[in-house]
Amino acid sequence: MIRRSSAFLLLSIFTVACGSGGFGVACGTAGPAPGPATPAKLRFAIIPKALDIPVFNYAKLGAERAAAEFGDVEVLWSAPVSADQLKQKEILESYITQRIDGIAISALNGDFLTETINRAIDAGIPVTTWDSDAPKSKRIAFYGVDDLASGRILGEQAITLLNGTGKVAVISSFGATNLQNRLNGVKAALARAPGIQIVEIYDIQEDAIRCAEIIATGTRRYPDLAAWISVGGWPVFTRNALAAVDPSKTKVISFDTISPALDLLREGKVQVLLGQKYFGWGSESVRLLRDITKGQRPASAIIDSGVDVVTRETVDAYEQQWKKMAGQ
Amino acid sequence: MKQLRGMRELSTVAILIAEVLFFAWYLWPESGRAHPFLNAENAVLILKYSSIYGIAAVGAAVIIICGGIDLSPGAVIALAGVVTGHLFVVDHWGLAPSAAAGIFAGVAAGLVTSVLVVVVKLPPFIATLGVMGITRGLAFIITEGQYYDVSSRLGAGFRPLGLPADWLAPIVMFAMAIVFQLLMTKFQWGRAVFSIGGNETAALFSGIAIGRVKSSVYVAGAALASIAGVVLVVVQGQGKADLATGYELDIIASAVVGGASLAGGRGSVMGAVLGTLIFGVLRNALPQIPGATFYDRLIVGLVVIAIVVADQLLLKRGSKS
Repeated sequence: MIRRSSAFLLLSIFTVACGSGGFGVACGTAGPAPGPATPAKLRFAIIPKALDIPVFNYAKLGAERAAAEFGDVEVLWSAPVSADQLKQKEILESYITQRIDGIAISALNGDFLTETINRAIDAGIPVTTWDSDAPKSKRIAFYGVDDLASGRILGEQAITLLNGTGKVAVISSFGATNLQNRLNGVKAALARAPGIQIVEIYDIQEDAIRCAEIIATGTRRYPDLAAWISVGGWPVFTRNALAAVDPSKTKVISFDTISPALDLLREGKVQVLLGQKYFGWGSESVRLLRDITKGQRPASAIIDSGVDVVTRETVDAYEQQWKKMAGQ
Repeated sequence: MKQLRGMRELSTVAILIAEVLFFAWYLWPESGRAHPFLNAENAVLILKYSSIYGIAAVGAAVIIICGGIDLSPGAVIALAGVVTGHLFVVDHWGLAPSAAAGIFAGVAAGLVTSVLVVVVKLPPFIATLGVMGITRGLAFIITEGQYYDVSSRLGAGFRPLGLPADWLAPIVMFAMAIVFQLLMTKFQWGRAVFSIGGNETAALFSGIAIGRVKSSVYVAGAALASIAGVVLVVVQGQGKADLATGYELDIIASAVVGGASLAGGRGSVMGAVLGTLIFGVLRNALPQIPGATFYDRLIVGLVVIAIVVADQLLLKRGSKS
């Protein structure tokens, strides 16, 4: 009796979740197919670093929109709830065992995933990377910013804002290849300005809350800090992360432009933002995978999406363009 | 009581089977495609990833049965992995001594916990919370944010004990589960663990060396977590300080779903392994359903509550009869 009740409870949970339409699919589509019907859709897994990183929502939108436009693609959007490279690898491996038609992944740790990506390629599953590459792997293509170049842009913007002198602190998250390359770009650019000194490079572990805490403590530790440079968007993902920063003393140059970043720029809390092609991460990944499955490989393995440099002067035009892309 | 435990394990098996059947039905492929969930390769994958939790959950179950709790296994997994990776990659030790040192680091963490719980008399929740911070902190200090690429030294096609690398973790999990199941059911030590968890005062009056048994339980739990850490590093090829962050709650949840009562005195090692498999199947199957990935934590929470409620019903029924 009790055994039956335990099993029934569990099945009830699954059934309720399914019946509520919560998964975004009708339960009626599950179970054995009645017979030959329309040609099967291509199933592409699009894997961001984590579900709790806001910029990736736009990649999801882009991927789903591209899939709807093509009509013959189904997108499976999946990732660990928060950044966890082992769970991301588990998800990647599960898609290999499913013999999915293609995988596009933003690697939390490219080296950690290299062997698994190679296994997918060897199994005949096309793999591309976006946002964060796994350059040592056999992945077919990478779509995203040239991280070294965009890091240099961050550094050059800081040099311009500070007139070549002052102390700066850099915010990063160690482990991800793309962030390391941006950091290298920042260092390379600042090395050309001898009057600028990097006092600290902080590892915020992909955590916006930890980032806010570090900005508060770092601002107290270095009261004469001239600028914060962030190679990711963590300082501009929330309105309060920069509360401790006095814009008259300390400038902020950050990656990413998603809300509320543009408002912070207008309010003068931030001086320069670098916007990525967020929608393109999803839409271009779907297009690339679809082309590859149809035998068309990209001309180059590295597809540089470029970045948008957004300042107070260009923010309105940038936002208009954004709303158009988001369908708002 | 023995009959109750058997029933509880059977109900966990029934839940696991029901779960597999549900996903086998729900993920039934369109014609012409292979089943994405119900295949041998996927089964190995579920076992491979569940085993990291499973090895540590064996220890968690023993600690919970003894009336304690351990919040440090995730951090101990990371520390053992980092120590192994550092000695193997940086100091060029052999794999076996590096692994032994990794396990020793975990055992040392367990000894600190047992001193805090048994000698200092700190509540286990507080003691293991502190040890969690210390061990995770040590792992970060050793790595300084970098990682150890163990795979490059192991080489491609590494076969531990002559077996495919993917099999290592499940084999270790089942071996540990069998060893501890025997210890818990056939040896005086196991009976003492159940007695202390059920009624510590009664156990004291019956002559059980409470402090010694409690210490051994925390050391065993940490040793198992560190074995999980060493296996993780060998199988996944990388030692990193932030690996297994937050896994302690999944490990405890696996033990509880497998029948371990947080009040102590009840539970089973095999049940904990089954609990990890229940969560392993969920982690594997949900990403295959469009949109379901966001429901992962919700469903895990509901499953824990549902199974514990069923467990309570079982207990009430058992005590009446």
